[in-house]
Amino acid sequence: MVKLAYRQGILIPLFSSILAGSLIVTPILIVLFRSITTTRLGAAAGFTVENYFRVFTDPQILPMLNNSLLYAAGAAALGTGLGALLGWIVARTNTPGKALVELMPLYPMLMPPIMKNIAWILLLAPKSGILNGFLHESLGIQEQVFNAFSLPAMIWVFGLTCVPLGYLFLLPVFLSFDPSLEESAYIAGSRPIHTTLRITFPLAVPAFLSAFVLNFLRGLRSFETPVLQGSPGGINVFVAKVYDSMSIEYNPGLATAYSSVLILVSILALVFYVRATRFSERYATITGKGYSVKVIDIGKWKYATFLAVFAYFLVGIAIPFVVLIVVSLIPYYDYETFMKFPANIDISNYYRVLKHPSFVSGLYNSLFLSLAIALTTVLAGIVMAFTIYRTKIYGSKVFEFIGTMPLAFPPLVLSLGLVLALIGTPAYNTLWALGVGLFVAYFPYALRNASGAIVNIHKELDEAAWVHGARWRHVFFKVTLPLLKPTVAGALFYIFIEAIRNIDVAVLLVAPGTEYGPVTLFEYFRVGQWAEAAAGGVIYLIILILAVSIAKFVFKIKFSL
Amino acid sequence: MAILKVEGLVKAYKDLKALDDVSFEFGKGILSILGPSGCGKTTLLRCIAGLEVPDEGSIYIDDKIQTSIHEAILVPPYSREIGFVFQSYALWPHMSVYKNVAFGLKLRNIPENEIRKKVESTLDLVGLPNLGERYPSQLSGGQQQRVALARSIAMEPRLILLDEPLSNLDAKLREEMRVELKKLIKKVGISALYVTHDQEEAFVISDIVIVMDKGKILQYATPDQIYNRPADQFVASFIGRSVLVEGKMLKVESERCQVTVPEFNHATIICHRPENAAAGAACKLVIRTGEIRLNSKRFDHTENVLEGSMNSREYRGGLTDHRIQVGSREIVVTSHKFCPMINIEGDNEKIFLHIDPSAISVIVDRPQAVPQQVGA
Repeated sequence: MVKLAYRQGILIPLFSSILAGSLIVTPILIVLFRSITTTRLGAAAGFTVENYFRVFTDPQILPMLNNSLLYAAGAAALGTGLGALLGWIVARTNTPGKALVELMPLYPMLMPPIMKNIAWILLLAPKSGILNGFLHESLGIQEQVFNAFSLPAMIWVFGLTCVPLGYLFLLPVFLSFDPSLEESAYIAGSRPIHTTLRITFPLAVPAFLSAFVLNFLRGLRSFETPVLQGSPGGINVFVAKVYDSMSIEYNPGLATAYSSVLILVSILALVFYVRATRFSERYATITGKGYSVKVIDIGKWKYATFLAVFAYFLVGIAIPFVVLIVVSLIPYYDYETFMKFPANIDISNYYRVLKHPSFVSGLYNSLFLSLAIALTTVLAGIVMAFTIYRTKIYGSKVFEFIGTMPLAFPPLVLSLGLVLALIGTPAYNTLWALGVGLFVAYFPYALRNASGAIVNIHKELDEAAWVHGARWRHVFFKVTLPLLKPTVAGALFYIFIEAIRNIDVAVLLVAPGTEYGPVTLFEYFRVGQWAEAAAGGVIYLIILILAVSIAKFVFKIKFSL
Repeated sequence: MAILKVEGLVKAYKDLKALDDVSFEFGKGILSILGPSGCGKTTLLRCIAGLEVPDEGSIYIDDKIQTSIHEAILVPPYSREIGFVFQSYALWPHMSVYKNVAFGLKLRNIPENEIRKKVESTLDLVGLPNLGERYPSQLSGGQQQRVALARSIAMEPRLILLDEPLSNLDAKLREEMRVELKKLIKKVGISALYVTHDQEEAFVISDIVIVMDKGKILQYATPDQIYNRPADQFVASFIGRSVLVEGKMLKVESERCQVTVPEFNHATIICHRPENAAAGAACKLVIRTGEIRLNSKRFDHTENVLEGSMNSREYRGGLTDHRIQVGSREIVVTSHKFCPMINIEGDNEKIFLHIDPSAISVIVDRPQAVPQQVGA
């Protein structure tokens, strides 16, 4: 007789989950621990509030908080609003040519974020920028109209980064809307425009709100824009301050104290996000019935919406792309050289970049690690989700908390924690450290993806396997995993794309020999090698487009909505 | 020898007792567990399958212990050798019909050609030959139901558990399937435990019925006994359409008793004598309205004839519902098209009801209601 036998079959998933959980918890605890202890290097000595004292007595703290919130909220409002507008135009209006642009708002997701910053700095830089140069040379305007290193420019660039997410959240709402909600408004005597304003848009508010808060959170955590555009212009935000504490004065205590403030703001935003999504569930307008929504004839306005879509195409995709390509093909960047293109076409930047050891090793490392991280996070995510939702182990719900925890921590802070954890150990300055950092940062996405999918798999499918003689491993490998296949493919792809563009986790963990491609681009740009940075960026873009094509044709991932 | 024995099963979810000291034994055939939703019947089934762990009690299948909280024994579901047909069928959508049915057999390391033979004969048995290569999503509801059954039967289990297997089918198909399901189970010769909330379904399918409410077994008896001699008020009202009225016993004879019913203008009604009848005792009468006879003229005999007036009528095709006011109560009686009282035209007309004593169950009020188990 087997006593309480089937509880033993869950040891493997339980231990895997504990392993993944401790990888995640360690750097987080270290950040919190180091922020209240004294020593600068090595083991902690005594308790201190000095770091927090320094943070909170900094006269810059209030302007910094102000900057951080304005920047994140402004970018989120701009990006989500634009994304929602594009979603509505594509889903519900008779704008000409909209079938061609259904996926267009998503293309910028492929561009590494740093490339957008580079492109827009090239365009908007106060003296040497292309637009200011044009106004000065061609129109004789002496004033510096544009300033890349200002709060509005930061909001503009990061706002454009926020558009795809707004579009992704809002388009399904507009597409799968229950038409009877609008039809009953028509019958009550409401005209289409009125109905759109009074029924359609208000019902989209919850989805808008969750996209907004998520974008806001991304703004708080974002690294490239604050460091490349904010700090040079004296617009300090928390992430940049954490980075400066480490990279300029190497003061981990101060960095962790700034991080703790950042974590606090992040958690508040995250709590708000969870509430917003719960609220949106009450609005459940999407019933999965697959309605075909009616397209509204907006009359002459369709030319205005067409122009809006075209304008987005220009600023979101075409202009940054063209600027980067051109700059990568001229010997060096200044306004005159730029305007001489294409007479001075030159591929020496590509040649130099591809011969540069730190770019080549970074390229290789980023490809290898992104692939490895995509595989391990997705697998670990599935095992943990299985442990939480299927094995009924007492207390397994705690993994849900642990697994989502990194979301509250900006990636830069996570890698800071890891640096502090690993200093003095053989793992420091190795690819392992970089790998663990990326694993922790991307694990929540894998877990959320797997949890959502597992919860959607009817529990009776598992139980049917149980009663028909399947043990834990049979249930997992023969039922759960095959059913998860479509979701798994999507998550693998998403995490690969995200990881290969990553800067904020890698930036503190790279060392000679363990370079990471995007960080190398970042360094090029910081030392003024703008043309090399552009060339390296174009190489990354080509790799990402290749990856998408491979995923599309080999794994048959559908990129439709 | 009992194929299934359940002893003192208790399972509570926070304050709600899903199973409250459930004990029964079951030999061979088909046993239905009947009760309203939330009465604990599905929990009971899942405990038997090992999918749910009870707080207390023990379960034996084929006299072998499967669950015993006291002895800390819990045989895992995959070792219980039972079949389970889920309410949602739970067919694995990524496997063909053949693979679904072969799943459990493959885990037993049976040679491939034997598996093929077994799967094909089982699919034949359930009436789905040549559908092995299809996927569950390509089948109709009724076909999916048969595949789920085939998957369980193919394992040759000692006992098959069915959790409301017909509730996802439309009404017409449900009636066909319940007859076919019974034939199939009898043909294969497995014992089955069938959970349903549909009284008619339970009666059609099973040899023995357990009526449950609030985690307790109220009655364990044959369908006939449950219909004609409900153990208590709940069973009586749950089985079929009925009217419940309060009464008081006037006179108790050897076979019969007289009960006066205040709500029916203090009419005296003659009933079969219940075991614990006593003159002067308060009691409840459960009158099955399907067995009430109507007439526009006074009946020839005088016993158990009530006088009422027609409130309204609803035409339902072959049947007509009559809402009749008797005293302070409205009773709904359904009559067949060929019923003699069809000649009643207007509302508010006088109408006579005859209630045969066999249409009445008498439940004598007791200080505390201990559920009485009848027969078996």
